[in-house]
Amino acid sequence: MNAQSNSSYQLRSGTSILPSQDKAFHDLLNGLLQQLPAKFMMLVDVAGQVVVAKGEHSNINLVMLGSLVAGDLAASQEIARLTNEYQDYQIVLREGQDSHTFIAEAGNYLALFVQVGHEVPLGWARMLITKASQQLEEIMQENEPSQEEVAGFELEMAASLADADDDLSDLFGDALDDMWLD
Amino acid sequence: MRINWQLRRLNLKIVYYGPALSGKTTNLEQIHLSVDPKRRSDLVSLKTHEDRTLYFDFLQLELGKLAGLTPQIQLYTVPGQAYYEASRRIVLRGADGVVFVADSDVRRMRANLAAWRKMREHLESFGIDMDTFPVVVQFNKRDLPTAIPATTMSKLLRLNGQPLFNAVAFEGKGVLPTLKAITKAVVGQVQKELA
Repeated sequence: MNAQSNSSYQLRSGTSILPSQDKAFHDLLNGLLQQLPAKFMMLVDVAGQVVVAKGEHSNINLVMLGSLVAGDLAASQEIARLTNEYQDYQIVLREGQDSHTFIAEAGNYLALFVQVGHEVPLGWARMLITKASQQLEEIMQENEPSQEEVAGFELEMAASLADADDDLSDLFGDALDDMWLD
Repeated sequence: MRINWQLRRLNLKIVYYGPALSGKTTNLEQIHLSVDPKRRSDLVSLKTHEDRTLYFDFLQLELGKLAGLTPQIQLYTVPGQAYYEASRRIVLRGADGVVFVADSDVRRMRANLAAWRKMREHLESFGIDMDTFPVVVQFNKRDLPTAIPATTMSKLLRLNGQPLFNAVAFEGKGVLPTLKAITKAVVGQVQKELA
């Protein structure tokens, strides 16, 4: 693998999350969880894949929720576009008896789902969630790995791809065979 | 696709696209039935009261550890009914590969062709180069007495070298080969991008 520059880690499509970004997401959401305070929050990408989950979620199916959050936000964005009301960092709010849920757009790649208790003022929550969404996008845009990260990736990716050689596709095919029950 | 280097997790999104009632949801249902429950999520289906796909179906597969990465494959279907065009475009967004499920019934050729053209139009609107984007075609319902020959279908759709699979998805036939083919095509593309 040619890992001479940062751009080596950038896929032409999709997103790549570096350890430094992952840590920044955790730090930001830990702060937001305390500050709101929130019951539960989850960061997903626009395809519905869960990036980070915080708070009480032992009884929540995160994989299913992730796909639905992404679908919900995407539909809301499209509705906003069709009605000429689209703007950045839009939020979908659902008010409930015990809690309220927010789904916020955080740039082009991420969506933030937040659940707060009914005692949390909606304006306060909206303000903090909007600010967090902007910060999440900034973290995503700061795709600059440190020199240490670059060195680490060079070694690990080279080793992984060398092991896989040209047969990575076959490995995936074999894995699908293995998980298929006859 | 997304790679989380911290978790060494590779996420891929594959969309099953095609005209109404061609068998997109059936493909996901068969995968859900056939895969070890420890290696897949529950099947999410957003349906109308008439049991037709309203928005999408969703299923996630966990492939274990491969080449130092932990791959997860997310499978989505689009709603097939004509008036859900906007929803289809939304679900297609961010796809790493597409399975086009065509209906072999001779009476559905016009619908196949319209869906095929519209899918290309959507993908191109996302700036996707159709010459390199992974697409696999499945000719479903090959058991129908009204099924037209696969060669004729290929000509009608003007397929251009895309991998092609015959299937009777309702019986599970052709489902795994199709899934394997699109997965391998997507992974091949990822490897090219990382190389």
